[in-house]
Amino acid sequence: MAADVHKKKGWEVPNGSLAPGNGQHAERSESPTPGLAQGTEPGKGQSAGQEGAMFVHTRSYEDLTSPEDGGAVVRSPEERRGEPAEPTSMEQISKDFSELSTQLTGMALDLEEEMRQSQEGKLEPSPQATRHDSVLSGKEEEDVTMDTWRMHRKHVFVLSEAGKPVYSRYGSEEALSSTMGVMMALVSFLEAEKNAIRSIHADGYKVVFVRKSPLVLVAVARTRQSEQEIAHELLYIYYQILSLLTWTQLNHIFQQKQNYDLRRLLAGSERITDNLLDLMAHDPSFLMGAVRCLPLAASVRDAVSTSLQQAKAKSLVFSILLSGNQLVSLVRKKDQFLHPIDLHLLFNLISSSSSFREGEAWTPICLPKFNSSGFFHAHISYLEQEMDLCLLLVSTDREDFFTVSDCKRRFQERLRRRGVHHALQEALRTPFYSVAQVGIPDLRHFIYKSKSSGLFTSPEIEAPYVREEEKERLLGLYQYLHSRAHNSSRPLKNIYFTGPRENLLAWVTSAFELYICYSPLGTKAGAISAVNKLMKWIRKEEDRLFILTPQTY
Amino acid sequence: MSGRRVDAKVVLLGQEGVGKSSLVERCVHRRFRAGPYQNTIGAAFVAKVLSVGEQTVTLGIWDTAGSERYEAMSRIYYRGARAAIVCYDLTNSSSFQRAKFWVNELQNCEEGCRIYLCGTKSDLLEEDRRKRDVDFHDVQDYADEVKAEFFETSSKTGQNVDELFQKVAEDYVQFSAFQEMTEEKGVDLGQKSSSYLYGCCHH
Repeated sequence: MAADVHKKKGWEVPNGSLAPGNGQHAERSESPTPGLAQGTEPGKGQSAGQEGAMFVHTRSYEDLTSPEDGGAVVRSPEERRGEPAEPTSMEQISKDFSELSTQLTGMALDLEEEMRQSQEGKLEPSPQATRHDSVLSGKEEEDVTMDTWRMHRKHVFVLSEAGKPVYSRYGSEEALSSTMGVMMALVSFLEAEKNAIRSIHADGYKVVFVRKSPLVLVAVARTRQSEQEIAHELLYIYYQILSLLTWTQLNHIFQQKQNYDLRRLLAGSERITDNLLDLMAHDPSFLMGAVRCLPLAASVRDAVSTSLQQAKAKSLVFSILLSGNQLVSLVRKKDQFLHPIDLHLLFNLISSSSSFREGEAWTPICLPKFNSSGFFHAHISYLEQEMDLCLLLVSTDREDFFTVSDCKRRFQERLRRRGVHHALQEALRTPFYSVAQVGIPDLRHFIYKSKSSGLFTSPEIEAPYVREEEKERLLGLYQYLHSRAHNSSRPLKNIYFTGPRENLLAWVTSAFELYICYSPLGTKAGAISAVNKLMKWIRKEEDRLFILTPQTY
Repeated sequence: MSGRRVDAKVVLLGQEGVGKSSLVERCVHRRFRAGPYQNTIGAAFVAKVLSVGEQTVTLGIWDTAGSERYEAMSRIYYRGARAAIVCYDLTNSSSFQRAKFWVNELQNCEEGCRIYLCGTKSDLLEEDRRKRDVDFHDVQDYADEVKAEFFETSSKTGQNVDELFQKVAEDYVQFSAFQEMTEEKGVDLGQKSSSYLYGCCHH
């Protein structure tokens, strides 16, 4: 598949390590072995081969080690040589499964200890003062000298290499200019010695630095996330900025004027960045590096996809129909792939603004993973006022508005002719399914990701995770398991976690990743039979939960 | 395609937050949203049908983003526009300076585009006269100077909004009738000269 082709080319360095280069040789396990075992996991497209893939699928730690990085993160050659993935096959997957129970007994004690510690840290009150409703000028910024400001669980700062503030998640950038100056001083101080600062760990806080010249991104977090995961989120923020400006323009600006105040150009985009950070704290899409589909009968989805496919134009590259943050259908130009990161950025753009509800928007947008040097033009509109169904048509030609707008009209006409309108409306009424449908009493929630398609499925988060904090706590547990499973120095394939309020199980193979959360009273044996049942259920429902036959124009 | 046909392209320009989108919303949907500020991303297109005498005119209205980020792109939105509504906030003099910038830009790049200066948020002045930051007569003088029409509107109360767009539509009808008359002559001349040039090149 296309994704695998990329991997073979070595574009991707999965699990790129941010860990200090202490000479510890990485023993890799997230072995995305190309070609093998792909027929086994549910949710994978039937049409194997190049055209079957929806995305260029990657878990994007590669960004941290990519050449454009400017050498900020240097991996030792030994580490690189240690890369070849261990062979995996279909048999191995089934063997994995049978061995699951035996392996799980070897659950490390320190894991539990670690969890308890981080849970203690979580009990502190977290103030909910955000600036969602920021008004243009008089937006209410927090006083950065107050304790409430310090109590935020995750701060994010963006600054230029001259130390000028570009963005702060909480509090005004002006008030923080001296803080940001200190951050830049730290970065520069180490760079003078030909070193790079990656993180500072102190007092339950992680301070993570990501250097993306001409910007520096810093997070100060006391979440349970690993350093890599925080760095990954910072990269998203960087890509978010690129999507507004392009890499070329960003560099050009700072080449012209080193102490340029980038906030001038980013004015009005704070809301988009804020929204992205909030979304990352709630939506497992970002953690999984995958996209969730709206559950939809295969026949309806096919009708939608075909209608989209037929409403094409020469300049169109991607036609995307989405609802909430779920994908309904995606049609792409042959040989052009959309990276999940780019799609996440598009989802975020749409969910952060209500301005698309009116009329038809036509906006320049850079898809940084696709091409960070230029703008596409996106036609964004909702199909109907009251329906949460947004159509995104990505074109290469900025003069092509009326042609693309006509594509929308044609798409709607075809949709009407095929009479799927009603079925779509019906599906939108229940955008999430309940875990009860699976029929496993102790099962509370799960995340299943099909690696080859870059899609994942997950039920609605239900009781006892009702309050926002509880939901975030659950995602925090997944984040923790995910970071353990993908730890670059000691990756794990199976994790069984017993907590005071729930039990969790993680299972990572070359074809899929599965995380389940179930009752604390359940047994390990129960969990394993639950996994078995769950996999069967997903396979049965796969044509509803996934897009199995991606279309091209 | 008939539903898509647009007679005149109209573009809204002006500093961010002056209320371009609110103006469009009032004109097209006859409502005003008091909620939190939502900046426009890129530009939004809506069509509005108005009647002028016995004729109907479809205005294709481009509501552009005021953010500086999109400035380099703005040309694609105003290119070929028959009318530009250049907005400024009556309570903010810097927004009027910005409006002047757009007027200059239009005069340099889009000769055929008629300019309508629009001072927004006039309802705020009714609450408190001291809030006015842009003098009425100054703008009037400036409008005369650049041959622009001049309105003061409120999207909140709807004051002058319909009048503004009606004027845009009427001027379009009048102007295009005038253009048709002159164009015929122009085409004749053009054809002659181009065939002459064509011959020239061949010999």
